[in-house]
Amino acid sequence: MILIIDGMNRHRYGRVLDEMFALRARVFGDRLGWEVDIVDGKEVDQFDALDPAYVIGLNDEGRVVSCVRALQTTGPHMLADVFSDILDGEAPLRSATLWESTRFCVDTEVLDRGNSRNSVSYATCELMAASLEYARNSGITDIVTVIDPIMNRVLKRSDCAPYDYVGSTKPMGKVAAMAALLDCTEDRINRIRKFAGIEGNVFVDDATAEALADPTPVAEERAMSCSLGWHEPEKPCRQDQLEQYLIDQLMDASTGEELAGAKRLADMLFDKKMIARRVTEMAGH
Amino acid sequence: MSVIDLSKVPYPENNLRLFLDEVCEAHELDYAAYAGVNPIAGSVHGFVNYPDEWQTHYVERGYQHKDPALILARRSIAPVDWHGLRSAPAFQTIFRDAHDFGIAEQGLTIPVRGPFGDIGLFSVTRDCPDREWQLLKSKILSDLQGAAVQLHDNVVRSHALTRTLMHPALSKRETEILQWIAAGKSQQDVADILSISSRTVEVHLRSGRTKLGALTTAQAVGRAIGMGLICPD
Repeated sequence: MILIIDGMNRHRYGRVLDEMFALRARVFGDRLGWEVDIVDGKEVDQFDALDPAYVIGLNDEGRVVSCVRALQTTGPHMLADVFSDILDGEAPLRSATLWESTRFCVDTEVLDRGNSRNSVSYATCELMAASLEYARNSGITDIVTVIDPIMNRVLKRSDCAPYDYVGSTKPMGKVAAMAALLDCTEDRINRIRKFAGIEGNVFVDDATAEALADPTPVAEERAMSCSLGWHEPEKPCRQDQLEQYLIDQLMDASTGEELAGAKRLADMLFDKKMIARRVTEMAGH
Repeated sequence: MSVIDLSKVPYPENNLRLFLDEVCEAHELDYAAYAGVNPIAGSVHGFVNYPDEWQTHYVERGYQHKDPALILARRSIAPVDWHGLRSAPAFQTIFRDAHDFGIAEQGLTIPVRGPFGDIGLFSVTRDCPDREWQLLKSKILSDLQGAAVQLHDNVVRSHALTRTLMHPALSKRETEILQWIAAGKSQQDVADILSISSRTVEVHLRSGRTKLGALTTAQAVGRAIGMGLICPD
């Protein structure tokens, strides 16, 4: 069964989220050897603070067995900000009807081989079908997903081969990572469902969702607070802040390309009279 | 903090309130509303095509500070159907009032996130039975997603600094596809020429349109030529 947790209901699912972050730590930290931050056995990164949506698979006992994270490609997302290597220096796709999916994983320790409802294969297909259905029901037409070659083979074998890729396969930890494109069409969803023998609604009903929630609901205030605020901005970005930002960019640049990019931006803002000093003057700051 | 009603500001290329009317007209909707915040510009924007009396009432009561369609929906990545907000605090108060002004309870809010921490919320309503609403929704949701981002990006681009930062960065793939379209090739032709699927062409075209702030491919080609990103054929 599948539960969707996002910024609107995450305050009620502390237990499920903790289990999910622990699963991600085992998969991405231990098994795949990616450079991820693990604190208290949980893998959490900066994108988890941006109110993503999680599509989470649970077994009959209510234990997390699979998960994936979705973000809009119009805003901050991993291919734009972290996995840009995969794109060979090219700009990421940005579209209202394209979501990015990352951190797709299943628990191979709890699930078994074979084709039963408790197998790796079934859990993978159920999570895949559910994320495509959730996206399609949101008016999304395509998903760009960051996966490793093993997952890529699993997709192909499950009659869910990506229709294309962006960028190229790049080494990452013990394995490699790539960005695959999947359409959220009825056809693709039906093929995965048929492959794994998934029938009917995979999403939890209201009563089950309630049963999976934490026993004591947190206070309303905490529920409403959020890192992505409707914080009404106090004042516009000032010129000195902008200059400081550019200086930081110049100082922090670790490659020639980054340095050139920072200089280009500074020149552009100087030409538009948004800053008072030239790059050379700022660099000597 | 400044609140700018863009419907009253002369605008270079488009009138945003007119855009709301066009979306309603094209998709059989009653009303549409946009609210957005741009942290770099330090501004909050809002405009609607609701009846003026309802706008006044809404602001007088300070509903913008407790409306779940604004407060909660911004934390979702998916469109939020107002059905799911009925148990949220303040929903009943606001929507009972809205009803008195002829605004339906049937509606949804599409959250848009931009690259600078900017957020836009695009809401639409339609007075109709549940079943009809569900059918309409599944038919128009993709288009509404596109409209929401188009509208939000336009608002963000109305500020000089964010406009500069948002200078469209097209990938090689997006550029070559737009170049072939400019040369008069169809989407299928481009797919054949580049030996990729038509769906790949489509996903890159959609991204190219979004980056160029264009609603149609023709408009995207025009803008890309204007910016020197591709050559006129």
